[in-house]
Amino acid sequence: MSLSNLIIKTRMKKIYILIGVASILFSCNKLDEKPASVIVKEQFFKTQGDAVAGVTAVYGELVSDGTEQPLYGREINFLTDMTTDDLSAGPSAINPNVRALSSVTYTATNDRVQVLWRQLYTGISRANVAIDQIPAMSFDETVRKRLVLEAKFLRALFYFDLVRLWGDVPLVLHDPTSTDLNSLKTNRSPAADVYKQIIADLNDAKNLPASYSGADIGRATGGAAKALLLKVYLTQKDWTNAVAKAKEIINGPYGYGLVANYGDLFNKATKNGKEHIFSAQFDSNGGLGNTSTLMGAAFTGFGVSVPADIPADSSVYKQFSANDTRRAVTFYTSLTNPSTGVVKVYPSFYFGKYVDRTVLLTSNQSGINFPIIRYADVLLMYSEALNEIGGATTDAYSGINQVRNRANTGDLTPGLSQAAFRDSLYAERRREFVQEAQRWFDLARTGKLVEAVSKVATKTNVSAKNYLFPIPQSEISINAGLTQNPGYTN
Amino acid sequence: MEIYLHANFLYPSRSYKVFKQAVILLLILIPFASFSQTSSPSVINSKLYGKVVDATNKQPIPGVVVRIKGTTHAVATNSDGEFNFVTGQKFPYTLLVSFIGYDKVELTVNGSPVQIELKPAVNQLTDVVVVGYGTQKKSDITGAISSVPKENLNQVSSSVDNLLRGSAPGVNVTQSSGQPGASASIRIRGGNSITGGNEPLYVIDGFPVYNDNASVATGSGSGAGVNALSTINPSDIESIEILKDASATAIYGSRGANGVILISTKKGRRGTSDVSYGAYYGQQRITKTLPLLDATQWANLRNDILAGTGQPPSFTADQIAALGKGSDWQSAAFRHAPVQNHELSFTGGDERSRFGLSGNYFSQDGIVLNTNFKRYSIRANYERDISSKFKIGLNSTTSYSTTTGAATNTGSASLSSPNLITNIITTSPVVPIKDQNGNYNLVNPYTSVPSNPINDLLSVINKTNINRSLGNFYGEYTLLPGLKAKVSLGADLLSTKQNYFAGPNTANGYAVVGIASVGNATVNTWLNENTLTYDKIIDNKHFINILAGYTTQKSNGEAATAGSKNFVSSATTYNSLQSGSQTSTPTSSAYSWALNSYLARINYSYLHKYNFTVSGRADGSSRFGAGNKWGYFPSAGFSWNAVEEDFIKNIKSISAFKVRLSAGETGNQEIGQYQSLATLSPVNYDFNSVLITGFAANRLSNPNLKWEKTKQYDVGIDLGLLDNRINLTVDAYYKKTNDLLLSIPIPLSTGYSTSLQNIGSVQNKGLELGINTENISGGAFTWKTSLVYALNRNKVLNLGATQTSFFPAVPNGTLGILQPVNIKVGLPLGTFWGYKTAGIFQSAAEITNSPTLDTKANTKPGDRKYVDTNNDGLITAADKTNLGSSQPKFTGSFINNFSYRHVDLLVFFQGSYGNKIYNALRQQLEITNLSTNASASVADRWTPTNPTNDVARATNSPVAQMSDRYIENGSYLRLKKVVLGYTFNGSLLNKIRAKQLRIYVSAQNLATITKYKGYDPEVNSFEQNNTSQGIDFGAYPNYKTFLVGLNVTF
Repeated sequence: MSLSNLIIKTRMKKIYILIGVASILFSCNKLDEKPASVIVKEQFFKTQGDAVAGVTAVYGELVSDGTEQPLYGREINFLTDMTTDDLSAGPSAINPNVRALSSVTYTATNDRVQVLWRQLYTGISRANVAIDQIPAMSFDETVRKRLVLEAKFLRALFYFDLVRLWGDVPLVLHDPTSTDLNSLKTNRSPAADVYKQIIADLNDAKNLPASYSGADIGRATGGAAKALLLKVYLTQKDWTNAVAKAKEIINGPYGYGLVANYGDLFNKATKNGKEHIFSAQFDSNGGLGNTSTLMGAAFTGFGVSVPADIPADSSVYKQFSANDTRRAVTFYTSLTNPSTGVVKVYPSFYFGKYVDRTVLLTSNQSGINFPIIRYADVLLMYSEALNEIGGATTDAYSGINQVRNRANTGDLTPGLSQAAFRDSLYAERRREFVQEAQRWFDLARTGKLVEAVSKVATKTNVSAKNYLFPIPQSEISINAGLTQNPGYTN
Repeated sequence: MEIYLHANFLYPSRSYKVFKQAVILLLILIPFASFSQTSSPSVINSKLYGKVVDATNKQPIPGVVVRIKGTTHAVATNSDGEFNFVTGQKFPYTLLVSFIGYDKVELTVNGSPVQIELKPAVNQLTDVVVVGYGTQKKSDITGAISSVPKENLNQVSSSVDNLLRGSAPGVNVTQSSGQPGASASIRIRGGNSITGGNEPLYVIDGFPVYNDNASVATGSGSGAGVNALSTINPSDIESIEILKDASATAIYGSRGANGVILISTKKGRRGTSDVSYGAYYGQQRITKTLPLLDATQWANLRNDILAGTGQPPSFTADQIAALGKGSDWQSAAFRHAPVQNHELSFTGGDERSRFGLSGNYFSQDGIVLNTNFKRYSIRANYERDISSKFKIGLNSTTSYSTTTGAATNTGSASLSSPNLITNIITTSPVVPIKDQNGNYNLVNPYTSVPSNPINDLLSVINKTNINRSLGNFYGEYTLLPGLKAKVSLGADLLSTKQNYFAGPNTANGYAVVGIASVGNATVNTWLNENTLTYDKIIDNKHFINILAGYTTQKSNGEAATAGSKNFVSSATTYNSLQSGSQTSTPTSSAYSWALNSYLARINYSYLHKYNFTVSGRADGSSRFGAGNKWGYFPSAGFSWNAVEEDFIKNIKSISAFKVRLSAGETGNQEIGQYQSLATLSPVNYDFNSVLITGFAANRLSNPNLKWEKTKQYDVGIDLGLLDNRINLTVDAYYKKTNDLLLSIPIPLSTGYSTSLQNIGSVQNKGLELGINTENISGGAFTWKTSLVYALNRNKVLNLGATQTSFFPAVPNGTLGILQPVNIKVGLPLGTFWGYKTAGIFQSAAEITNSPTLDTKANTKPGDRKYVDTNNDGLITAADKTNLGSSQPKFTGSFINNFSYRHVDLLVFFQGSYGNKIYNALRQQLEITNLSTNASASVADRWTPTNPTNDVARATNSPVAQMSDRYIENGSYLRLKKVVLGYTFNGSLLNKIRAKQLRIYVSAQNLATITKYKGYDPEVNSFEQNNTSQGIDFGAYPNYKTFLVGLNVTF
């Protein structure tokens, strides 16, 4: 063998070694995906921590949304307040869909209607996952059962909003197992069936703890389940069951009562007091991890522009007498700029419950809770149910008078007829719950929607069809099996 | 007559017979021949052997026909470039040597051995061009490949993507903003994808790079995106090839669908040694400013709005009279900005090695205050022949670039402001820019926090620093004659740091007393390629080239951000986050993807006349569902060099004529990572003011997720006329993309909004024309012209069973609500959708008698009137209609090169026709309100005494509607570049001992003809976002540049 041959052979060897090494080093890049910074569903629901986090996410839907204003952070108010005689769209509401809700000219393509529908079903889906997955897990039984019941409470809350706003709705109780489109379609179930599910879930959730301590405060309680059940019965005009539920709450081991100062309900420092039964919990948290934007857009700071949410007309303000302590909490007419100390006086009155005076320049950091159901509501519902059964009895008076006295408006005129008492009670509810996502539900449930809303000059388009919202057009486009509510065209 | 080829030697008995016949033939022919050897004595067998090599790289050339002049005797070189004659001719005689792609050589030989060097022909049709994983003679190519002309490569440019502008038909470059270092959006033959990426694949010295600007975004910066490609020095580029059809791109398989751009950097040449220095310096300025209200007009507008709501005026007549023009915020923000570039390069080589080394410094200040881009880069290319069989090489570039961008500013305007540019132009003209002491005035009664956009520009730090090392080394070994093995290892190491600080005097920092954040991102990509190529020539008729290979690529990305606020002192800016008393939520993320591929290609040419290419690639990608990891991408191409046929050969005027046909399938994998998995995202909740982290699935898993596949058919003609003084290339193509990676809406009642599925299809069809002519040549004055024209028609064919149209999300709150873009079956991507307008309501009676958008009670004379397109008597969303598309009907460029003696002149026109631009900025400027400035047109607004049909009455923040009023004609014709150069002659060069010296002056964006009312028709506020092209929402404006430069080579 010649030298050059040898050299070539040696080089050949080197090349083969190079190729060999290269292929060992690189040839087997694995193609399976193992994400390092995101959790995949299959890896989840293994530990108690996972289960707790899964249920926390159901609560999370109340206060956060990746792209839109969160469910109880303003979204629900578009449908339950913007469409009523309480609220209208201000000049800085740049979304025509919001304007359409304000003028009660919304259609099935209204994006706010679709967003609320999505948010409620997102919450239901997360609850479904928790209810399906957690019972099969093995960890502390008390916590495990509690978590499932919390998820059931929240599922009932979401379905209760759905069934009241849209009537018959798809009743989905499990997470999809495939992406095949046909398997993802669900048609509308009769409202009665939805209510049956709500009542079943709430009857289970009744067994939740009566109260929590520390960082568990804010979770759903047995009392919250009963209070929601009370509202379900009231909505169904099941007065007897409503009264029974109200009594259980009032006399139960929950320690509920009215806070002395109405303003404490909308104050970060005094949140979750004895009047709180169930609230969407918001916090500013110094900017750390706060994904909620409670009413952020409702207050736009100290510029010259008018907030996006303004009173529908002066009628809502005129409901309040001068000595009503709720008026100054419900409305503001001036604010102090914390950075300059300059007091800004506004040309009109604006809604003030959720304006957190401690973070005025970063209003999306408001730490004020949104009450979903509070004790004053239970008292007023109790009075209402009693009045519907047997007229304005002493017991009926006791509920509403507690609420009125806290507001410094004195006892209701004694001896009212059933009808007069009913009207007083409705008026009281309006004053008590401005911007608390109650107005539309109350008007719809009492059949007074058209009568009340049409009194506002810009809302005369309201008609009987508005007792239900249209099923979002996008849902019908995907699933032709969904029918539209009467009065709305596809 | 017969030509006897090399194969004779394999068959001695036959060759003897052939040889005898040849001798006899020659004997017969010689008496009739009239060349100089007639006096030679009768037959004497002479032998000649020799070798034919390429004059530039000294590589042997197989298959070259060597002919004895005046005879029919010819042989062809073998695979080592060697040839042998056994002939009746006597020395000396003349050889004629010709080979496709090289200049013909005629030389007289006196004996053996002889080495014949062939110079590559300078001719477009016969060049060797870079193709995927190799090179190929242009004559043999079957696919649609455009080379960027040398003249374009030599132009001044800040980044590679800008060099592509107007350089080849079918390549549409849209600059997204004028911010230095910002990206361009590039579409080759239209967009295929809706959800996935549409940018082409870049292959830089063999290393595939997808230019994803997201890879250099950490989340800490703000404002315009940073262009990952800006890290490459454009002067380092030797050649750019654009692969357009499937025959060319299918070798890149799953990444070939959007076209492939092959970039080769400069290497040395044998036997030379050059030192070059190049520099230029220039000034840039804004092309135009927008007409806005002055202080007097604005004060009147504000009074008008207040009057409309029954409020007292805020300015008295005396105050208004004293206001004058007020502040011109645009003039305060824009400046004349310098740009400069320096580069030094060493190239050279000897018999065994070639090298290229270069260093570059580029600095560009933006036309907006305190914005700039700087790049420092070095390149080292080296190649060495270790032996005749073994070659090694290295290509590497390392760069550091830093961008200071105009930050997004969210503090001051009540309407959602997309960026600082809109903040600047919407700031009220009655507010002074500086106070009496010459300091920036921070008091603006019309904003919620004290701030000044000019002060913000100057004091907010918004910086991106990118380090990039991109390189590969390789060894190539000739295993057997014609069989080469090549192993290459490469790495692309990209690391980014972003810094942001807004002090307490700025809009963003005011409420939080200063805010700082930093972000780091690294993306490291590794590549190993192993290829075998086999070249074989059979009978000098069959030219075969076979490529087979295995490649594997892996990429790991990591990113982290941290931030804090509430600073006692601004002195430390972003460099001391611990000095802020409140921390922001830190973030971190990581991802990786891998791609394993097998590839193969066979090129077969019969006499360089009939050429066939068959290629295939199998790609396995981590990005797809468990059941669909592997995709297969085949292609086939055929080309016919008709000019080699006798019946065309005889037509003197036709110098080249080639017909190409190709078909194939390519893919698109650009959907990000982990899209097939049901990933969970954190959803937090505050239990009694304690933040608890929860997790929820944000999508359903889709194990069936697979590639988008694009089928493409191409037919092309390359024609050379009059000795190639006229070269013409025409291509027609049809592309259909199936299995679109589309987020389809699923019933919301499932708890999920969308599911990424392979549904739907899009088609692109188009025609491309490139003409290069030498109008005047040969003399002192030369004139060359190149014309590029392309039209593409894009259409959505199918969006799945559930929908025929959808409104894609636009990444901006205000525009997100307006839903300006509709993706609809039957229409092109980028179709704008909204109301048609019909002027202004002039009277209450007109309102009563017309359908109105808002309720009749809310509609007043002076409000805009919309068209009831469906004639149902109502104005509803159903009346919104197609307002045109952001896709041009055609694009073109026209380049003229003149030279007279030492003077050269380049004139480059570029244009686009038929595209629409949604001028959202103008819409913003016509939404009158009490706090921000408006377009000058608002001064002529409707009033009872000024019944115009153009601008609506003044109201406080009228609801924005998507309408044809703000869809503008985006067509333009632009004098993109003029370059005048002078190349010095011998005597001066000798004095300074230079080989070459050229100085030049150049102007860019000198003149533009357009009807577009915004800053510039080349605009794309949302950069690479597929579905939001052609929207102008306060993008950093484009500019014109004047510069002088010199290039000298020693």
